[in-house]
Amino acid sequence: MKATGASSRPAVPRQGWAAAWLSGWDRFWFTPSDPLLLAVLRIAAGCLLAWSSLVWLLDAEGFFGSTAWQAPENVWRMNDQPWHWSWYFAATGSGSVAVLATVSLVAAVLLTIGLATPLAAVVALAGYLSAVNRAPLNAFGFDDALGLVLLPLAIGPAGARLSLDRLIRPRPAAGLPRTSATVAVRLIQIHLCVLYFFSGAGKLFGASWWEGTALWGAVANGQYRTLDLTFLAWHPLLINALTLGTLFWEISYAALVWPRLTRPLVLAMAVFVHLGIGLAMGMMEFGLAMIVANMAFLPPDLGCCGRRLGSFTPSASSEPLS
Amino acid sequence: MPQPSPVRSTAAGSDSRWPLAVRLLAAVPILLYLAAVVLPPLAGPPPASELAGTILQPFRPLVGLLALSHGYRFFAPNPGPGHSIRWTMTTAAGDQKTGLIPDAEADWPRLLYHRRFMIPEKIAGFVPLPEAPEEIRREAVRDWQPLVEDIATRLLVRHDGREVTLDLIEHYLPDTFEVREGRGGDDLVIPLGRYLWRGGAGE
Repeated sequence: MKATGASSRPAVPRQGWAAAWLSGWDRFWFTPSDPLLLAVLRIAAGCLLAWSSLVWLLDAEGFFGSTAWQAPENVWRMNDQPWHWSWYFAATGSGSVAVLATVSLVAAVLLTIGLATPLAAVVALAGYLSAVNRAPLNAFGFDDALGLVLLPLAIGPAGARLSLDRLIRPRPAAGLPRTSATVAVRLIQIHLCVLYFFSGAGKLFGASWWEGTALWGAVANGQYRTLDLTFLAWHPLLINALTLGTLFWEISYAALVWPRLTRPLVLAMAVFVHLGIGLAMGMMEFGLAMIVANMAFLPPDLGCCGRRLGSFTPSASSEPLS
Repeated sequence: MPQPSPVRSTAAGSDSRWPLAVRLLAAVPILLYLAAVVLPPLAGPPPASELAGTILQPFRPLVGLLALSHGYRFFAPNPGPGHSIRWTMTTAAGDQKTGLIPDAEADWPRLLYHRRFMIPEKIAGFVPLPEAPEEIRREAVRDWQPLVEDIATRLLVRHDGREVTLDLIEHYLPDTFEVREGRGGDDLVIPLGRYLWRGGAGE
């Protein structure tokens, strides 16, 4: 095919509709990318998982034992047994429960520092799944957010950079752009879009979200409160604005996080909302876990920050993003 | 059309793309995982379509294995009142003890508080309000009482108790007008029964 003039773009072979879809799918999932972003997600999520594992361990018998807040034989009342597998169902005494909870904690620490990373990621994921599947009475949104990141970390090259594995056994090729890094990050991105879509859609049932008063319901709930924001009672229009802003952001997240023009705004709002929840409602772990998941939308080489981080475990390619 | 691509290749030095056969094979688990992510919030909590529930059926093992059965309805449809469980216990030594789940003073760090705070919050989802029809309240007991028995057993073991009485407290949620006028309301107390050590039966 010939170009038709000096200013014309190079000719591109015409694609059918189905072929364009397949090509888009292929590019979206299988374009190799820098594993640096996944490494940063591993460290951040690993810290949160280690903290969560430590807190589970503080009352391991109460969460996972035979006389737990929810006895093993009643777990089916809150989740879909036998499919919600947990290694705690096999634990017969408080000693074995404590050992398994400790294994989870150790795996989370190893994942964070990147030592024996592939194995640590799988064991940490198993420990996480075992905890939330055994103790559905005690699990909440923080666990949902952690789970969203952990499976992709287990299938992607999470230890390829910023890890003790790479310090102990330097392998320059490990830092090369990897297809599995792209798949892992894409899974987090899509899952996050699904989460926000349903979270926003669920709110559309509620009159208080349409009226713009829902935020007050969260602020006035004394069981959550760690920061007294009841002064907002004197500023109802501000409550309206914050409520409607949150609702619009959640509903539109899945569409507006992809274009580069709106992505920074959407991510900035995510930080604002989740830090707000963390500070005002005492759910800092949940807020941080959601922010970590949102980091999946950062550039895979993390731009200039990535170049500084890259000096720790250099990538074979130091070229900037195209 | 904007390129939806926060993930981009860093060009030089890239490992070669996966071969076509590998990419085709990888598409299968990717699609399965996406289905396991999307279907649970589509199929529940109510209202939900029968279609979503039907399609979800073959995915139940995968959804359960990966703990993906979430509705993601955070603070939806409306942020509601908070709940606590108040317990009053007679110990084996004959002393009286009282406490709350969660206990803002004792349950530290905050994440531990939240894990225990989920206990009354989730139990409240099973317990109808006192104004609900008698038949609904009677039938609901079958769902919530085994869970409350477990909570009672945990408390009796932990505090060396002989018997414990539990109440679910729904904390009054004032609106902005009431706060501005300095008014409030009463918490709602719903009895959950008295439980004996080793007997386990609620009264």
